[in-house]
Amino acid sequence: MKKIIIGVTATVLWVVCVTLFVVFAMGGGTNTEHQFTVLTVKEDAVKDYNSMPVFRELAQETGIDVNWIYNTSAQYSNNTDPVGTKGIDAIYHTGFSNLKLYDYGRRGRIVAIDEYMDSMPNFSRILTARPDIAEALKSPDGHIYSLPRVEEMGLKAYPNILYINKKWIEKLIDDGNLPAGVNLTKDQLTDGLDLYRWEFKAILQKFRDLDMDNNGNKDNEVPLTFVSGNWQGNESDLIASFGVPENREHKTILNGKITFTIEDEKWFKAITEMHDWCASGLISSASFDQDESQFLAHGQDGRYGAFYWWEKDTVLAKEYRDDYVIVLPLKDDDGNRYVGVSNEQEVEKGECVILSSCEDKEGLLSYFDKFFEPDYSAQLNYGSIKSGAFLPNKENGKLIPNDDHGAQSADDFRMRNAPYGVVYLTQETWDNSVQMESRAQLRLDNLNSYVKPYVFEGVATIPNLNYTQQELLELNTHEFSLSNNIASWYTQAVIGNTAPTRESWQNLLSVNRDSINAVLRINQAAYDRYIEATV
Amino acid sequence: MSNELTSTALEDQLDQQSDVVDEIGADLVEQAYDALDGNPADDKKKKHPKWEAWKTNFRRHGWILLFIIPAFVYVLIFCYAPMYGILVAFQDYMPGDSIIGSDTTWVGFQNFKTFFSNPNFWDYFLNTFLLCIFGFLVGFPLPIIVALLLNSLRSKKVKKGLQILYYAPHFISLVVMVGMLKLIFGSDGLLDQLSRQMGGDAGGLKLFLTPEAFRPLFIFSGNWQDFGWSAIVYLAALSGVDPALHEAAKMDGASRFRRIFSVDLPAILPTIVMLMILSVGNLMSCGYEKVLLMQTAGNLETSEILSTYVYKFGLMNGQYGVGTAAGLFNSVINVVLLVIANFTSKKLTNNSMW
Repeated sequence: MKKIIIGVTATVLWVVCVTLFVVFAMGGGTNTEHQFTVLTVKEDAVKDYNSMPVFRELAQETGIDVNWIYNTSAQYSNNTDPVGTKGIDAIYHTGFSNLKLYDYGRRGRIVAIDEYMDSMPNFSRILTARPDIAEALKSPDGHIYSLPRVEEMGLKAYPNILYINKKWIEKLIDDGNLPAGVNLTKDQLTDGLDLYRWEFKAILQKFRDLDMDNNGNKDNEVPLTFVSGNWQGNESDLIASFGVPENREHKTILNGKITFTIEDEKWFKAITEMHDWCASGLISSASFDQDESQFLAHGQDGRYGAFYWWEKDTVLAKEYRDDYVIVLPLKDDDGNRYVGVSNEQEVEKGECVILSSCEDKEGLLSYFDKFFEPDYSAQLNYGSIKSGAFLPNKENGKLIPNDDHGAQSADDFRMRNAPYGVVYLTQETWDNSVQMESRAQLRLDNLNSYVKPYVFEGVATIPNLNYTQQELLELNTHEFSLSNNIASWYTQAVIGNTAPTRESWQNLLSVNRDSINAVLRINQAAYDRYIEATV
Repeated sequence: MSNELTSTALEDQLDQQSDVVDEIGADLVEQAYDALDGNPADDKKKKHPKWEAWKTNFRRHGWILLFIIPAFVYVLIFCYAPMYGILVAFQDYMPGDSIIGSDTTWVGFQNFKTFFSNPNFWDYFLNTFLLCIFGFLVGFPLPIIVALLLNSLRSKKVKKGLQILYYAPHFISLVVMVGMLKLIFGSDGLLDQLSRQMGGDAGGLKLFLTPEAFRPLFIFSGNWQDFGWSAIVYLAALSGVDPALHEAAKMDGASRFRRIFSVDLPAILPTIVMLMILSVGNLMSCGYEKVLLMQTAGNLETSEILSTYVYKFGLMNGQYGVGTAAGLFNSVINVVLLVIANFTSKKLTNNSMW
């Protein structure tokens, strides 16, 4: 009897707990005090948007009160229907693809923003001034379903800089171990180091064979590494040095024509050479299965001989930063240098959508329209003035970034204080209203002097293209299998046990011929329309 | 020996035995109940003898049916109720749309066309088939052999010890399992480092990036985890073998080995056939979770299977209709295989599910 009573009590308590939990969990989301509720994707480390000074300021100026609620990116990626979330008016940081935007749009579940231009003076001004942005934002039915993020610094097209360990080369010079034929003096070891590809390879071989860091172990040095297929710091420029405008999508614009680099004879030659570098241990095999954070973690203690990344400061701990210098794009045997451009977009499409269930669309859009003003854009992108991202006083009408964040690193500070998202920062902004961060300026200077001059003639980034529904569906099918097949062939060719054969390469091309042709045809048609609409 | 068996295994065995009893006894039941009721069968009753038998049976033992209600409800709610979702295969669907409603966009077989016109369709199909058929060829006989061998051991202690040793890996979770595999076989893993220490080529041994290594890794790690667990069912069946048969065989001078083939194996044949039919019915659906976890750009050539395609193209890429069509196609193949297996075994061994 006693047992039964205990059992029943336990069950009842359990049920009560669960019920209470469910009630509170479900009740927590609704809040009637605010005018609007916006769902955003935010990691826990980022400060609460509701208390961020920039949003308080916005609320004061517009008189519109927005309540931000959050999904972490892990929650959000498991959310199959974010647009169906109850009680929200908009989603910020949607990350929706073209197809998804259009799918929601034509079902009428998100708002066609172009119909509310009257409430958005800033946005409509941008669209008039920049027909390329207007064109990029359009869905197949001609409507604009999302607010964009525009951050034009001229950086994203060149995401790779080659750094080499100067200290190790100095050691080679001191010990008389410089490879035969390589004549380097210590004076030459500054940013902009000029090397032939064969010289670079010979140096890597020394890095591999010798105990470069004097720790008694010859095997802990990593001669060359990168993050294969990553948006920055990938191996594209190494392949490009063979004379093919490579990027991580293997697709670029060459003299107005959309082209696959994999079809180029030189690409195959580059892959064969890459295989050789991998097989002989010059490129660490981790380069092909590490992610960004692993790459960064391993590099902190200065064990990389050479690596591709945008800026060395993130890769290296403070005491190692001065050990590395920038290498110019590698020269081929004829002394020519080649660099491709990436297809990373400076105009990102699916940043924010308004749900059709929103009751006051004009109101909410007029609020988001403020985001496009330079001062707000800058604060959204870097952190608010009050939190110390910028100096309190403007100079010559320009916001001046504050580089001193105390113990916090600049990356940490920005990650915690800046909500990012819908911004409009262009050359005009840098010229008139906001001074570029010193880090970005440094990166830009580096790119201007060491990378951009060597970009292929006639090569350009593929812009945000606009497809018809039929094209989108066709593209979706072909691109999926094509990128799978290329990735799989490429990885095997480079790190497999046997060198890639010409037949296997030809086979890759012929098996995927239909897909290659379809993707090129659709892209080209869309690109032609883009040119027509914007010129 | 039956002490060590889990209750589920015993239940399985009992189920199968009662199935057999049902079949043999179907005709007898009617007569038996008629006799019990003291109601000799007349012409009128002969018209629906089975129905009458059922009725009597129900009257007497109907309350036992209560016990299967939870299982019935479970299957109804979690297996049959969601099945209307396959309609998505014929729709242009997004989460939030109603599956049957005024706003449903029907597209006929468009999704299937998209799926079949995928240039890699046959590769995915072949990969799925090969992975599963090899898995079946290795994984099906292994537990039978292990069970027969364990059953033939003289020392109960050794047998018990081995059994625990064999089924312990079953409790390692999938993610941990793949993590272990990567530590041992991946780049910079144990094997890679060993091979370099021993003077292998500088590129090392990167099994996770080698397409040829994917299937062996997948199948052997899977079987290593599960052969002991699957053997339990057979051990249960073996425990039901009449010791008298063994005695008789011994008298006739049969060796230990001979008795395995002539006594043990025939005794568990119905169990083997039944489990074979069931696993043939699942042939095309090896779990996608483990495949996804083990997938790298290097082994895509062999590791991209239909279910990972459904996951990546259907769910991640938002093509729910195409994903459902692919899943439905996979299920149809499974059903066809199941029917063929059932039919064949009925013809050959007179054992079948229906």
